[in-house]
Amino acid sequence: MSEEIVFDCLHAEIVNYCLGNNKEHDLATLEYIGFTTGYRLIERLTRDSSRFKDELETMKFICTDFWTLIYKKQVDNLRTNNHGMYVVQDKAFRFLTRISPGAKQLEHAPKFVAFTCGLVRGALSNLGINSTVTADVQSIPACRFHIEVNRN
Amino acid sequence: MAFCIAIIGKDNAPLYLVTSDVEKELDLQYRVHAALDVVEEKCQLLGKGAPETKELYLGLLYSTETHKIYGFVTNSKIKFIIVIDSSNVALRENEVRAMFRNLHILWNDAVCNPFYIPGEQLNSKKFDRAVQKLMSGNV
Amino acid sequence: MSRQALRLDAKKVNSEFLTLTYGALVTQMLRDFENVEDVNKQLERIGYNMGMRLIEDFLARTSAPRCLEMRETADRIQQAFRMYLNIQPTISNWSAASDEFSLLFDTNPLTEFVELPADLSNLRYSAILSGCIRGALEMVQLEVQCWFVQDQLKGDNVTELRVKFVRRLEEAIPAGED
Repeated sequence: MSEEIVFDCLHAEIVNYCLGNNKEHDLATLEYIGFTTGYRLIERLTRDSSRFKDELETMKFICTDFWTLIYKKQVDNLRTNNHGMYVVQDKAFRFLTRISPGAKQLEHAPKFVAFTCGLVRGALSNLGINSTVTADVQSIPACRFHIEVNRN
Repeated sequence: MAFCIAIIGKDNAPLYLVTSDVEKELDLQYRVHAALDVVEEKCQLLGKGAPETKELYLGLLYSTETHKIYGFVTNSKIKFIIVIDSSNVALRENEVRAMFRNLHILWNDAVCNPFYIPGEQLNSKKFDRAVQKLMSGNV
Repeated sequence: MSRQALRLDAKKVNSEFLTLTYGALVTQMLRDFENVEDVNKQLERIGYNMGMRLIEDFLARTSAPRCLEMRETADRIQQAFRMYLNIQPTISNWSAASDEFSLLFDTNPLTEFVELPADLSNLRYSAILSGCIRGALEMVQLEVQCWFVQDQLKGDNVTELRVKFVRRLEEAIPAGED
């Protein structure tokens, strides 16, 4: 779809803006841009939803419907240890598919997943779930997102 | 006829309050505050497997001699409270439900303004105008 | 699918995702720069970079031949807005020499939900659009100026973007030729 390339371009520019020449910025800023976007996006997406019953239902929504709506494909794998730890695997993550695979590029991979980490964290945060979201890229374009729910 | 719409945030921080009768404002604020406890109770019941309601609308929270207080909680844990003067008998429950629905839509749009900082008081002319319309349709 | 399976319109979701992401970027920049004019320039620059990439995609999808004059260019720009942002601006207000025209938007997806605070009246929130047009056209050897004449965010009825032809850019002469 043509709209996808617009977003891909914008995402690339945002990555550049945060991590380009300006040394004061780093992945945290990029993550934060994702956070505030996810926070508001989930408000839109769930505007007409019925009540989420509990944490599990919320997590399922984020890891399935939310992912599909935003990234146009199903998540390839979703695991949980039932103690607040969730792992989402995407074998062809949208922002990694345009990078050539190779050891050298792995160095740059964190730049392309930071926004999404923030997006997920922001969405969960607005639904009342505080979490830490990190990602690890073993081989481009496959990626795993680790969501750890902070239960206090 | 007193009419009040209040929006309370996740940590029970007040985000928005408007009343049709400024003189009664303090009194209405008090009612809203008391309503929050009831909202809390209802939400806890929902979590414990009470007859599951998929609705965000909580219905009548409580009523006094002079007022009826209704509630609504979004999935993003924002509480909407509407206080209606008991003498307003024309207003039916499904109209109240519709009001909450409209309020939800308005709130949703306001939160998506990138210049709005979540958790802070809402300061939006667009929202003010729309809520006034909502209230004037029902006072 | 989870129990909350939604029947959301994919186009709308895409559009809102873009809107909210752009909004987050703009507010981040406002935190980074003291001067609003610097933010305007950054947004333009980002638009410029994006335009340079999008034109390639546009040419690939439409196999459009080179435009011979501005009226054709205007049509292509209109087509691009339809394709990429799902909106249809009106082309109007042509100059006598047909080298300058306006694009009138009555909706702008980038500004959906946006309410500009009173102290940011100098912000050109949608500067990315003027930059984008400039960057795209420069890649096809057209230098233009592009600026906002009216902006709905600032209270105008319509958002008006003006495009003015400056000159054709010569293609770079390969080294070795005189």
